[in-house]
Amino acid sequence: MFDALTSAVSSAFNRRGSSLSVPILDGALKPNNLLEEAPVLVERKGLEDIAVSANGEIYVACGHDVMRLAPGAELRPIARHERDITALTILPDGVLAVGLGASVIVGSPDGSSANKPVVVNHVDGQPLNAVTALHAAADGTLLICDASAARPYSEWNYDLMEKGRTGRLIRYDRAADKATTLASGLAYSFGAFVDRQGRTLVSETWRHQVDQVEGGKTRPIIPALPGYPARIATAEGGGFWLTVFACRTQLVEFVLQETDYRREMMRTIDPRYWVAPALSSGIDFREPLQTGSVKQMGILKPWAPPRSYGLVIRFNDDFIPVYSLHSRVGGRHHGIVAVAQRDDDLYVLSKGAGRILKLSASRIEAVEAAEHGA
Amino acid sequence: MANTYTNLRYKYWPDHIFGELLQKQWMETVVPLLVLVITALYFSSRIDNFISISNLADTLRQASELGFVVLGMSLVLIVGGIDLSVGSIFALCNLTVLYCMNVLQLPVGATIAIGLLMGGFLGGINGFLIGYMRMRAFLTTMVTLIVFQAVHLMLNFKLAVAISSALPDSDLWDFIGSGSILSIPFVVWVFALIAIASHIFLTRLRSGWRVMAVGGNRRSAYNVGLSVNRIVALSYVASGVFVAISAIFYASRLASAGADTGKGLEITVLTAAILGGIRLGGGKGSVTKAVLGTLIILLITNGLLRLAVPAGASRVILATILLLAAALDIRWFKNRHKAVEEFYVSPSYLELPQLAPDATGPASAYALNDRLRHVETIGLGEVEAPEDVILDEEDNLYCGSRHGEIIRFFAPDYKRHEVYARIGGQPLGMTFDDKKNLYVCVGGMGLYRVTSDRKVEKVTDETNRSWLSVVDDSRLRLADDLDIAPDGRIFFSEATVRYEMHEWPTDSLEGRGNGRIICYDPRTNKTTTVLRNLIFPNGIVISSNRQSILFAESWNCSIKRFWFDGPKAGQVEFVIRDLPGYPDNINRASDGNYWLALMGMRCPAFDLAMRKPAFRRRMSKQLPGDEWLAPNINTGCIVKFNEQGQILDVLWDEGGVNHPMITSMREHRGYLYIGGISNNRIGRLKLDGADRTFVSSRHAYV
Repeated sequence: MFDALTSAVSSAFNRRGSSLSVPILDGALKPNNLLEEAPVLVERKGLEDIAVSANGEIYVACGHDVMRLAPGAELRPIARHERDITALTILPDGVLAVGLGASVIVGSPDGSSANKPVVVNHVDGQPLNAVTALHAAADGTLLICDASAARPYSEWNYDLMEKGRTGRLIRYDRAADKATTLASGLAYSFGAFVDRQGRTLVSETWRHQVDQVEGGKTRPIIPALPGYPARIATAEGGGFWLTVFACRTQLVEFVLQETDYRREMMRTIDPRYWVAPALSSGIDFREPLQTGSVKQMGILKPWAPPRSYGLVIRFNDDFIPVYSLHSRVGGRHHGIVAVAQRDDDLYVLSKGAGRILKLSASRIEAVEAAEHGA
Repeated sequence: MANTYTNLRYKYWPDHIFGELLQKQWMETVVPLLVLVITALYFSSRIDNFISISNLADTLRQASELGFVVLGMSLVLIVGGIDLSVGSIFALCNLTVLYCMNVLQLPVGATIAIGLLMGGFLGGINGFLIGYMRMRAFLTTMVTLIVFQAVHLMLNFKLAVAISSALPDSDLWDFIGSGSILSIPFVVWVFALIAIASHIFLTRLRSGWRVMAVGGNRRSAYNVGLSVNRIVALSYVASGVFVAISAIFYASRLASAGADTGKGLEITVLTAAILGGIRLGGGKGSVTKAVLGTLIILLITNGLLRLAVPAGASRVILATILLLAAALDIRWFKNRHKAVEEFYVSPSYLELPQLAPDATGPASAYALNDRLRHVETIGLGEVEAPEDVILDEEDNLYCGSRHGEIIRFFAPDYKRHEVYARIGGQPLGMTFDDKKNLYVCVGGMGLYRVTSDRKVEKVTDETNRSWLSVVDDSRLRLADDLDIAPDGRIFFSEATVRYEMHEWPTDSLEGRGNGRIICYDPRTNKTTTVLRNLIFPNGIVISSNRQSILFAESWNCSIKRFWFDGPKAGQVEFVIRDLPGYPDNINRASDGNYWLALMGMRCPAFDLAMRKPAFRRRMSKQLPGDEWLAPNINTGCIVKFNEQGQILDVLWDEGGVNHPMITSMREHRGYLYIGGISNNRIGRLKLDGADRTFVSSRHAYV
């Protein structure tokens, strides 16, 4: 009884409550080095998204360009846009959909006039602002994540620190040329997916959860993730890959409660040096450091609080995590924002390192099976 | 404006004192004292003449009688037991004494002796059963409570008439009962004497310490060879004797042999002891607490009586108080360290000069480079935590290790090493004197010396205590770096007086002037504090003018000069006030300038936090230590500066591949040797154009 009383008192006084705890990496999320040790296929500045077409072509969004991944890991530009590409997908009939921040362009991959490109920039009277992810459903409709009405995609960390709740999930029906809002008021929509049963999912990044969208309502179907979920991609054999672009830390959760500090930080400090999750870290000494991240005897401990992290989680059809791929603290392959699978080949895009990694799904599963069998 | 307010608020309001007070042992006595004062104030506001002279004498008389029993109970509680049978022992002793005095007409001396023996015997029964037969104290004394009470009832039935029909004729007996010396009742004098004796026994005598030890941890006490059984048994005997003393005074005052004598005494006494702060679990308690508890309980019972509260109700009130006190006692002892933790860390306001965005840009004095990236490493993986390095005339290299040793690497290749000396604490700053004695600051221990024939000697481990400090700052907690002045005086820094060495990140979070500079004078063998309230004073070097020292204030990102001699003696001035990182050791360069190690770099988020003490306080409370915001010490940097504080050269290991957190460097015959307290290697870098005859251990003034 006393304990219950004291815990009630402490939560009232905002003391060391459960509000600041962060889920730990355990079970299917047990750390490994699969991402860190994965072979690097491509290294290039500005990599943003990756998509696989129905006929098995891999397309990559990098800076202003859409490129096709040719054999031999060569990137061949096929289309150039005026702005940085923020999202990319390929519709079942081979038509490319490209997000350019405040608009989405749906057109043929080679720019031929067979299909005149369509531009979507207003939905339900509200302009698109931060298109972060596109997903082509099997029925030919296109899901658009418009993550924030307040901040462009490049200022995502402002949206986090301002506790942005202005994300939308939009469905665009190409045949009817009609866009409808499926859900709004999302805490950053950064990934959408329609699974084999036709259920619609959306990553609600700042709430650390994946929602199921049904009849205009959302409900958390994968709650309490240890990181910030991003884009989602189909996995061969059912289920999906969920990318997590950074892991949560108690310090960031704490700073999110500290309005005064957070406001002054946003006003006076370069966003690169904020107390906030990052796509990569350890490069500049002006980045904040946590006590646990101090190098001891020449080693940065991999279990130190992660400012940046590399994580991809494989879920099955029942939304249960099966296994995960990691690049831990001190590693390079952080800030994973996109994944594409073609047969056995898994392409993982690390925005933090500016690299595309190539892994073998069957090998990962063999390693995981050995790990759990033992 | 807001910042100025915060600054003043944190400058003058002593936040840190609360945690320091809580840490003190005597704080546990302050709480019952406060309760006593509040009780007295409450009742005197409700009752006229509650505290008058006559009333006071009466209260003290009762208090002393009760106090004896509380003392006995406290002793038993301290040993880790409990004595519920005090009430029945009291009644039996009372009856015995009255029988001896009134019926047998024995002399007073004999009566008292018999009374005391009776108490001792009855207590001895408890002691034998609990101490030697290893029975449970609670159950045993409850049983004896009932048995003794039954015996008392039987005897009382037979003797009561005889006792009340005769009156003793003894002046001495009357004096014991109601006499006064200097208008203070006799019983109060006796109680005061016995209380003082008990206090001396518990705190100053070996046997008292043994009693405390048995209560603190029975197994450990047994393991160190104490006869636990005997001590436990004797504590019950003592309790019995104390009860008997009380009963003698009671008998002499009232001469009544009622059947109700001593009934419910155990509750009153237990409440008094626990209210006073004597721990139910044993091992903690003092005479002061017993006395305070007694006074509180007496004021409450008398007050309730005067307020005409029905007897039943007042017992309920007492029982409730006992329950609350016992619950509080358990909570407090379980959570005391947490409470101290909560209050102890008290960040202050620290505004550093604004760091320009291009402070380390290519055009700045601190332009980034990778000159430390490709150093040779010495002893990689063989040495842990070499905070400081130094080389002797024969080029052998000395460094500390976290195992409490000084390691010597042999010239010329530094492949072989040996343990030069074992000290036991982490060696930090080092310096040689003219006779090749190695002086070392040792974390947690003080200033030590390894003589030229490798004998370890303590130089000093204490300084003068400052009067206004709550924390005892006479002991050296974190002696950090040192240098020897031309006249032989040793100046050394103590980084913080509030934390141990491994807790330095917490000190960085506080950013208060917790450190000081201390001077040891070998001529008088005296240690004195020369400068106080410095923000983590770290590296120290004697300046080339031989009249001042340069020292680094780490969290303040500055280098200061302190004049210990000459016309400016006693003055402190800034040399560098806007370093882009946190300075550590300072040592001389061959060209007359100074090398400075930067253990870490400033980052804007931490700088902002230093201007937000309340933010840091909440952070320290809500987050585990590993999650705290820290200065960025994963980058290595060494700079060279001159007497005026201009930056002449800078060496970087950005990203800290070989040398994160550089804490020291020494120039020696054209090379720079680099140490780091969190590192497992020593770096060696060839310096272009440096004086190849310069020896790091030789002093500038020689």
